[in-house]
Amino acid sequence: GAMAPGKKITARIKRTLPVKGPQAPTLSELMRWYCLNTNTHGCRRIVVSRGRLRRFIWILLTLSAVGLILWQCAELLMNYYSASVSVTVQFQKLPFPAVTICNINPYKYSSMTDYLSELDKETKKALETFYGFSEGKSKVRRSVDEWNSTGSDFFKQIPLLKFEDFSKTATDLRSGQKRKIEGSVFHKDSSIVNSGDSNDIIGFQLCDANNSSECALYTFSSGVNAIQEWYKLHYMNIMAQIPLETKEKLSYSADDLLLTCFFDGLSCDKRHFTLFHHPLHGNCYTFNSGENGTILSTSTGGSEYGLQVVLYIDEADYNPFLVTSTGAKIIVHDQNEYPFIEDIGTEIETAAATSIGMHFTRSRKLSKPYSDCTETGADIPVENLYNKSYSLQICLHSCFQKAMVDSCGCAQYAQPLPAGAEYCNYKKNPNWMYCYYRLHEKFVKEQLGCQQICKDACSFKEWALTTSIAQWPSTVSEDWMLRVLSWDKGQKINKKLNKTDLANLMVFYKDLNERFISENPANTLVILLSNFGGQLGLWMSCSVVCVIEIIEVFFIDSLFIVMRRQWQKAKKWWNDQKRDRSGKTQQGRDLERQGHDNPVCIDEDLPTFNTALRLPLPQDNPLPRTPPPNYSTLRLETAFTEQLPDTLEVGQH
Amino acid sequence: MNLKKYFIRALHRLQKGPGYTYKELLVWYCDNTNTHGPKRIIKEGPKKKLIWFFLTLLFASLVFWQWGILINTYLSYNVTSSLSIGFKTMKFPAVTVCNANPFKYSEVKHLLKELDRLIEVALERILQPTPGNSSENASPPLDLELWHQIPLVLIDEHDKDNPVIVDIFESNQTALGNQTAAGNQTAADNQTAAGNQTAAGNQTAADNQTSAGNQTAAGNQTAADNQTAAGNQTAAPPAQANTTSEEKKYKLAVKLCSHQGSDNCTYRNFTSAAQAVTEWYILQSTSILSKVPLQERIRMGYQAEDMILACLYGAEPCNYKNFTQIYHPDHGNCYIFNWGMDEEALNSSNPGAEFGLKLILDISQQDYIPYLSSAAGARLMLHQQKSFPFLKDQGIYAMAGTETSIGVLVDELERMGYPYSDCTMNGSDVPVKNLYSQYNTSYSIQACLRSCFQNHMIEICGCGHYMFPLPERVNYCNNEDYPGWAYCYSSLRSSIRHRQICIDSCKETCNDTQYKMTISMADWPSEASEDWIFHILSYERDMSTNVTLDRNGIIKLNIYFQEYNYRTISESAATTIVWLLSSLGGQFGFWMGGSVLCLIEFGEIIIDALWITIINMISWCKGLKQKRVQARYPDAPPTVSELVEAHTNLGFQHEDTDALPRDEVLPPEPGTPPPNYDSLRVQPLDILGPDSDAE
Repeated sequence: GAMAPGKKITARIKRTLPVKGPQAPTLSELMRWYCLNTNTHGCRRIVVSRGRLRRFIWILLTLSAVGLILWQCAELLMNYYSASVSVTVQFQKLPFPAVTICNINPYKYSSMTDYLSELDKETKKALETFYGFSEGKSKVRRSVDEWNSTGSDFFKQIPLLKFEDFSKTATDLRSGQKRKIEGSVFHKDSSIVNSGDSNDIIGFQLCDANNSSECALYTFSSGVNAIQEWYKLHYMNIMAQIPLETKEKLSYSADDLLLTCFFDGLSCDKRHFTLFHHPLHGNCYTFNSGENGTILSTSTGGSEYGLQVVLYIDEADYNPFLVTSTGAKIIVHDQNEYPFIEDIGTEIETAAATSIGMHFTRSRKLSKPYSDCTETGADIPVENLYNKSYSLQICLHSCFQKAMVDSCGCAQYAQPLPAGAEYCNYKKNPNWMYCYYRLHEKFVKEQLGCQQICKDACSFKEWALTTSIAQWPSTVSEDWMLRVLSWDKGQKINKKLNKTDLANLMVFYKDLNERFISENPANTLVILLSNFGGQLGLWMSCSVVCVIEIIEVFFIDSLFIVMRRQWQKAKKWWNDQKRDRSGKTQQGRDLERQGHDNPVCIDEDLPTFNTALRLPLPQDNPLPRTPPPNYSTLRLETAFTEQLPDTLEVGQH
Repeated sequence: MNLKKYFIRALHRLQKGPGYTYKELLVWYCDNTNTHGPKRIIKEGPKKKLIWFFLTLLFASLVFWQWGILINTYLSYNVTSSLSIGFKTMKFPAVTVCNANPFKYSEVKHLLKELDRLIEVALERILQPTPGNSSENASPPLDLELWHQIPLVLIDEHDKDNPVIVDIFESNQTALGNQTAAGNQTAADNQTAAGNQTAAGNQTAADNQTSAGNQTAAGNQTAADNQTAAGNQTAAPPAQANTTSEEKKYKLAVKLCSHQGSDNCTYRNFTSAAQAVTEWYILQSTSILSKVPLQERIRMGYQAEDMILACLYGAEPCNYKNFTQIYHPDHGNCYIFNWGMDEEALNSSNPGAEFGLKLILDISQQDYIPYLSSAAGARLMLHQQKSFPFLKDQGIYAMAGTETSIGVLVDELERMGYPYSDCTMNGSDVPVKNLYSQYNTSYSIQACLRSCFQNHMIEICGCGHYMFPLPERVNYCNNEDYPGWAYCYSSLRSSIRHRQICIDSCKETCNDTQYKMTISMADWPSEASEDWIFHILSYERDMSTNVTLDRNGIIKLNIYFQEYNYRTISESAATTIVWLLSSLGGQFGFWMGGSVLCLIEFGEIIIDALWITIINMISWCKGLKQKRVQARYPDAPPTVSELVEAHTNLGFQHEDTDALPRDEVLPPEPGTPPPNYDSLRVQPLDILGPDSDAE
């Protein structure tokens, strides 16, 4: 036969993949077949049960089992992304953390005179004028006018005001003039308004340089805070103009700060410390910063084996207005972490030995979808301005700094510079302070969106510190100790160190147990599936096979049958239409044949046993036919008659 | 009888030959198994059969894969932790209080007199620029024997490449004529130092100190130029120390030799003289004090009645008699409250300072040993009952003249032992002899590490270190009997290898209890109350009206439970055998609807298959032997496979009529449907039934 290749292929496809209908001709037949042959347990009962009530009960039971399965599996699915916490303790050689040590006073006061003398003079004058304070001299209140005539840039920039009640007027402390107060009032100090003694309220006003009616007012309950804050604003302006190299020179050198160093039973010196310039604390020194590639570790706990340093705190060289406490600040952190010393530093007292016992905990959270944390911070749309690994703190600071540069045009002094920006000072950005305070207020009220953008880091290391203080040097050892330390310092012996200039610091591991708290997925896919299997099996003895069966029977086969029905109906309707025209003779025969000899059912594929039973009888046989025997009854009978004696026989053995 | 019957049956069975073929067996299995897949394979049409066959295979492999994962998970012995926080009545922790200074100076002065004079003169020489001190001449001659055992040396670093070592008592040394080869020795020392010094920077930086042997080996290399340089410079007076105030040119170091006068020396460098002096003094005093018997040492320490002035636990008064004395090498006499050794441990059922322990201590700072401990205060530690207090590790300081309040939170971690985590319940399985068991204290990792170190020390140096307990028949190290001990100890202490051995052999305890402390301080007594408080406390202690106390010695302590006093993390096994079984069942059920019974079915089939194989082989052998011609029964019953073929192979009628001779017998009546094979099938099964039963 010369057949077209396309036809050949379709013929082959037809032969190999015959389109065959479902095994039952009607829906009810299909259901019956399904129920009898399915692997699930309930359905069979429905069909087999006799009596309406029983059948009804079985339907109910089966349906409720299905419902339970659905409910429980939904629960399982919803709890899929839950995490369980495990804590492991491991005793091992521990990496020693980086320890950053700063003097509380950022820069040597004596070397800062070039930059700060003007400001200090003004501050002293202000103190003298407002509070009658003068160093050593007679406490005569200078007249305001006298000072006024000299003129002050600092007070012009940020006038200090004294408030009278809340009558919206304030006295300018410098000029003595009364002013109308406009704009919103911020209480920097406390949220509780000091209602009783309004005389105490002092503050300063920051105005928008472009629009003088836009002003913000900062009030403090005490002049101490007001003066300090006022000083700090000016100080930051001045410092912002000094380049970093100069600032590093103005601050303490490693030799200045560190008198002795001892780590793990061995002597150490300034080479083990790395300089880290902090904008607010000047030169800080980080022990074990890991900069040279090696990170020290401890294999023995206890104070002898940790870091022991004696710090030289030159109390006489402190800035009197900027810092009012004496000592050092330290922070224990990971080598990759940025030391936020101003936020979470621990203060160290002078003339005392501060012993800091550490306990190491490492935590690890699961990231998405278990919790909303970030592994590296790469997925957070905030540029990391710090040269260290991601942390929430870094993100918030960077976010604020970015907002600052965007809206004020310059960067805040306490945080690193973004590319292309420079620090604020009021020569270039006269408006920055007002802008900064406005922005900061927004930031605190979470209006900048930083808190929403920034996420926790997934893993973090924590050193829990136990700080205790002892007197040092003891009264009897003070003499030789100070002498030897003075020699160490390389000073003349007649200029002995004072013990209030010294602080002894010990940082050590209390024990070498590392606690590791980690989240693990409570469920894996394997466990979820076995839980599903358990549920399906418990209620209905069902498995994936049943699910496939259900899909096969209820969706594919049923659909097929329904479609076939529709097709037949359509055909019948068409035939009827035809017959209406030709004659109404064959109506009855058609009805009879309806179920059996549908054209779809007959194909070249051989029938199965079940379908064979329902096969149409040969039509052209004129002989009368015996009906097929009732096989199932026969089978049941044989089963009983044969098997019963058999079991009895077994019993007799 | 039964056995005989059984064998006869088996014999008959063998004679009969196999009733089944493999195919029959397989089909029978598929039809009758409870596992969900196989039934479909034989019930469906040929296309679906194939699909179902692959589906069943796929599911079976999925089941096995996931079972593998589950069993792996089980064998990894994971744990889950549960956390509980709250307040409950708990045992009040044992509180150990010590003085930071181990002995009263007034009591040990006669032992340390020589040492103190030595260090004073040495310091004088180091610090004072004028050579030829006058005070030295006036005082009685120094005991230089003590000095030479462990000398302090000054390293002159004016020339960075050739540092010069200057013995502080060099002039005396030559004058006394002790060392004829002094020039030689210092030259040798010089080399050692030079080698050591360059190495020291690296070592400390990398924390990777090689053993002392290596160092000295490096230092012992002969370098002629060095020797001559050293010979010239030994005469240089150390007085130049202060001429350059800008840069430090001198360093102090402790010279440690394996034995006196030996060249095998190492120099412990110190960047700070204060540190060097302290270390040197500790080494020397350790040697002296180790010769003093324990009773004497206890007597020289602080007595409970002198130290503990007042005690109040909750509302109940207590006094120094409620404290158990223990001798601690670092801190002398320590006193432990609520140790629970002889009596029941006290409970505390209320949070807050009012229900805790209140102590007033006197540390009498005037009586401190000046060079031994420079920090003054009380050392205290909270620990579990019946555990040894390791104050250097976990102790905290309390400052004199202050009131220190300590809020306590008990942080417990209860862990499962082996195989869940590698911890020990009571230390019995740790291969280190616990030297602290002589105190009747429980095992702890600190005790293990110290015991381990002491054992190493005894093994290598031949004597025990004074800071740790001694096993039997071993003495403490001292300069006279073991002249090289300091060298040995120093090298052992800095040996990373030995530390690692100890870390590896010691295990942490399964129940880890920590006392988290919230420490706060205030000045105490206040200026207004100072007078009467000192007066009363002095009176109570000495029954005299003079005030013997002052701000430099008095300490108040409050130790109490916080509002939430416990935080317990307890572990439980994440995977138990029940979990494993239910997960295995879940997996099997999920993919194939199977259970253990299905596995048994499968096993049964395998046994049957084996049985068929055996029978086949036997009958095959028989056939070979006898070459018997098998009688053909025309009416042979159809085999199961044929029947099944009839069911599944949808032809209904066999092609070759020989297989079904019955068709020929039956009248070819048209219209009769094929016989019901199901009923036929039951029969051969029943015939075989008793046979399989008999097996």
